[in-house]
Amino acid sequence: MKLFTMRSAYVAVLVAGAFAARGPGPTALAQNAASGDAANGKRVYLADGCFMCHGRAGQGGAMNYPAPAIAKLEMPVESFVSFLRDAPNDMPAYSTDVLSDKEAADIHAFLQSLPGRKPAKEFPLLNQ
Amino acid sequence: MPKRNAPDAGRRNFLKGATLAGAAVLAPPVAASTQASDPSKGSTKAAVPGPRLAAAETMPPSKDPVSQTTSGGDFMVDVFKTLDIDYLAMNCASSFRGLHEAVLNHGGNTKPEILTCPHEEIAVHMAQGYAKIEGKPMAMICHGVVGLQHATMAMYNAWCDRVPVIVMGGNIIEANKRGPGAEWVHSAIDPGAIARDFVKWDDQPTSLQHFAESAVRAYKVATTPPMAPVMLSLDAELQENPIADAETLKIPKLSKVIPPQGDSAALAELAKMLVVAENPVIIVDRVARTPAGMARLVELAETLQCAVIDNVGRMNFPSRHPLNQSFRRAILRQADVIVAMEVNELWGSLNAFSDRIVRSSKPNYKQGAKIVTLGSRDLYMKSNYQDFGRYQEVDLTIGGDAEASLPILIEQIKRLIDDGKKSAFAARGQKLAAAKLAAVEQAKSDATIGWDASPITTARLCAEVYGQIKDEDWSLVGTAIRLTWPHRLWKFDKPYQWNGVSGGAGVGYNLPASLGAALANKRHGRLTLAFGGDGDFLFAPSTLWTAAHHRIPMLYIVHNNRAYHQEYMYLQAMAARHGRGITNTATGITITDPNVDYATIARGFGVHGEGPIIDPKDLGPALKRAIAVVKTGQPAVIDVVTDPR
Repeated sequence: MKLFTMRSAYVAVLVAGAFAARGPGPTALAQNAASGDAANGKRVYLADGCFMCHGRAGQGGAMNYPAPAIAKLEMPVESFVSFLRDAPNDMPAYSTDVLSDKEAADIHAFLQSLPGRKPAKEFPLLNQ
Repeated sequence: MPKRNAPDAGRRNFLKGATLAGAAVLAPPVAASTQASDPSKGSTKAAVPGPRLAAAETMPPSKDPVSQTTSGGDFMVDVFKTLDIDYLAMNCASSFRGLHEAVLNHGGNTKPEILTCPHEEIAVHMAQGYAKIEGKPMAMICHGVVGLQHATMAMYNAWCDRVPVIVMGGNIIEANKRGPGAEWVHSAIDPGAIARDFVKWDDQPTSLQHFAESAVRAYKVATTPPMAPVMLSLDAELQENPIADAETLKIPKLSKVIPPQGDSAALAELAKMLVVAENPVIIVDRVARTPAGMARLVELAETLQCAVIDNVGRMNFPSRHPLNQSFRRAILRQADVIVAMEVNELWGSLNAFSDRIVRSSKPNYKQGAKIVTLGSRDLYMKSNYQDFGRYQEVDLTIGGDAEASLPILIEQIKRLIDDGKKSAFAARGQKLAAAKLAAVEQAKSDATIGWDASPITTARLCAEVYGQIKDEDWSLVGTAIRLTWPHRLWKFDKPYQWNGVSGGAGVGYNLPASLGAALANKRHGRLTLAFGGDGDFLFAPSTLWTAAHHRIPMLYIVHNNRAYHQEYMYLQAMAARHGRGITNTATGITITDPNVDYATIARGFGVHGEGPIIDPKDLGPALKRAIAVVKTGQPAVIDVVTDPR
């Protein structure tokens, strides 16, 4: 299916809400999340195809429904890893068979390292 | 080709009296045709015959004649002229050589003018894009059997998009007239069978009078909502051979069907529902079929101060209008009345679908909300191809053309609005306007993420393009899959500034359909531009030769993510579901190794090409150069290496 529609933009809100609201999952991480390796996280983010829906800069995108921007993700790492294991809607769920907790934590570190948003007023092309 | 080169031109124009007066489709060609059969009328008299013609008409007929003074194709061209068909798109073929020659030497290659297309899919898609901008159909003709087989996917797109296209195909009906070889494999008993599920009507005329009546009927059927392609199979003998019964031929008058309005009582009931509703929401898809459609929809929305969600099948509603809530679809959860106008697949707009191991869905709207449909969708459909979507329960279905029904609906609503309602509506409108403003600011903020990144973000790409065209009389006629930034960031407020999408999601639509729209825009002096995916581009790149050959100005921006990206994500989801190989999904998906150089391809077809552009700082200057080329009346292509979406 190769559809162009905007009919379900609301799902982005739902997914973004899920990213923001989920608490820590039951699985304790083997590694200290705060020490995630952003450089390796970038490598995994690209190799494992996260960029396909969420963009290389974490700017968001779309599959069947919009995929939220995740640059400078504020979700705690434990919640993030738990989220990946049981992602909602059309987002694939990534098991430990294909994505270790360490790799997930590294992705989290990478997303936090991204510059994210800037004030739109600084961009004349966005104010025309 | 100049008519002076056509032998016996005066004689061959024997029906011209029928056609000049009938150039406007509503003129009465029947009267003119009667005139054509009246030898007392000057225009139908044969010219004083030259020696060759005199000899042909005074000598006994040869058993093996080598020349003729009339052809069925000439008459067919006269029919096209009465229907005001501007263009005939084609890839040349022997099964319609008779008509082809007649268009050139009898018709002077005008109305219709031939558009040379390297593929039949290009011809049909051009007609689809053209009709949506110009508001009337174009014709195309294809070779018997194989040409039609090439054309069919595009016909399906036009069918799903509810767009009129006059499709014709050559054939040789009589088996004993077919030459050995190609004429057999390119003939069929029932050529239309392959396309009958996605044309509204088809015929294979067996006489010229039959052709005239079927051509006028085809035009009428195609342009009556719900609009759709039609098809005529044209026997080669009928096109090529002399006209045997010229004095009896006449071209019937075309009287267009007035689009049906919804039942007035039902519209009155809908008006009451809308006026008492606290949060009515209007969903639209293919409402605006004329320039009046957008203005009527704006009037309705402003009268009610209610939210409008635009599925962008047409240029329905201004993108920056305060009531445009297309990127706030969560408001459906607060809606107590939902009115869907000309929405093809309503279920998809009202339900969230989960593409998981166990497929599931849930409504997007609150329980108890009243749902009303207004449109022509329910008036006509076919069963095989499933473009009608899942059945959606509704409370009131009003059959009728939405655009035609809007004036009555608006009038009924205005009668019911008192001062108290006006005040409440104004308060509702203010809230929606504030939310719209916030949504636009959110879009701008989202667009800043990765602003300087390479590959270039699609937000940056669209912002750069808008910066170059915003002060022009622009028309965006194509977009890559899920490229929503123009509708989030740009100000669309003219009826021709958007041209919808493919309809059938058949890849290969965007480049040729954009060119057809550009052809329509050309006569209005508009700056046509389109975004298109790289995968789509590769289905019919030779469209660019048609653009160059016919001097059709268009800025085409390749959204080059170097993959069939939607499928990339699907395959990734499959691998993740199976817990294996998520790094292994590029095979069969990506368009790399080698990377395709779209600018070089463009130049090979005689089109200005720039790229690949990988640094966002290079975008603005490249766009400036390309737009300068387009303003000279030529097409231009820019290849921009982008992030996926």
